[in-house]
Amino acid sequence: MLRAAGRRFLRLGSEHRAPTAAVAARAYHERVVDHYDNPRNVGSFDKNDPTVGTGLVGAPACGDVMKLQIKVDDATGKIVDACFKTFGCGSAIASSSVATEWVKGKHMEEVLSIKNTEIAKHLSLPPVKLHCSMLAEDAIKAAVKDYEAKKAKLEAGNAETTQTEKVDGA
Amino acid sequence: MASRFAPRLFLRRLRMRRRAQPISSLHEASAESAGVIGDRIFSPSGTWSPPDFQCVFRVFFSARPSSLDEGKGPAAIDYPSLLPEEEFHKLADETIHDLLEKFEEYGDAIQIEDYEVDYGNHVLTLKLGSLGTYVINKQTPNRQIWLSSPVSGPSRFDWDAMSKTWVYRRTMANLFQLLEEEVGQLCGQPISLR
Repeated sequence: MLRAAGRRFLRLGSEHRAPTAAVAARAYHERVVDHYDNPRNVGSFDKNDPTVGTGLVGAPACGDVMKLQIKVDDATGKIVDACFKTFGCGSAIASSSVATEWVKGKHMEEVLSIKNTEIAKHLSLPPVKLHCSMLAEDAIKAAVKDYEAKKAKLEAGNAETTQTEKVDGA
Repeated sequence: MASRFAPRLFLRRLRMRRRAQPISSLHEASAESAGVIGDRIFSPSGTWSPPDFQCVFRVFFSARPSSLDEGKGPAAIDYPSLLPEEEFHKLADETIHDLLEKFEEYGDAIQIEDYEVDYGNHVLTLKLGSLGTYVINKQTPNRQIWLSSPVSGPSRFDWDAMSKTWVYRRTMANLFQLLEEEVGQLCGQPISLR
């Protein structure tokens, strides 16, 4: 009786232990685990900041949502900072974390050429998780697009103001 | 201290609540700043504050009128109205079963080391040994069939009612055609899936 109770206790104990000692064949690559345990650049920028571009991709129903934000130096077009928040599996978190690392310090045009295949290779993603890397690529593109749209709108707004000023001044 | 975004238990609860919500709430999603075609996308709305996730969740789904007007990106596709779930399952299951049969026959005909066809939980896995692995599965919320290919990477196919085929909107690739081309080339023997 005691032995059975003891066994049950041990089983309970092993259940509570983190399931990292899973079947070797299905283990996450150590880079994915690293990004999961020590995610880089988690956070949020003020999305109303004109130097910030926000890319929001995915859908909760699908199980993956990524928000990737970039802070751009208006003068040089370089990405000076990036942050992300992701709801999803370990591979999705790692993919977006890698994405924020890779965009920092690069020019906006340059980051558009970051391919999902590179992210997937870097993290040794299994076939079923390739979609996560594609989502990360999409998030980068969406962030850049958002920043450019904001910039264009701002410039259009400024042009209008100068025009009205001219009329007033005339 | 960087904190992981939203605990899983929370999200599971959220998913259950989400299922109870009417599908019409999804109409409100807009897709202006994200340039993704074929997926559901939302405009960045409001701040993302993990503690009150339910509140954020609603904000996430509701569109701001201003951003809807400004949005020049692809319109959010209301998948439930495009293709009712039942019909989607019927079409997708039929397609995947079809592929399963054809791949099994193909495996019998050719000699590829470690060729294996697996089907479980509506996920079709085609292993071609060292040549790579294909994974084909349903993505019901998006009404899509997702493919992971060792050649072309990930792609998402929507049902095109006009041509009665599955099409990847970004490249206009046809699911069967893509698989025929890739698998045929990888294994060195043509395969007919249509």
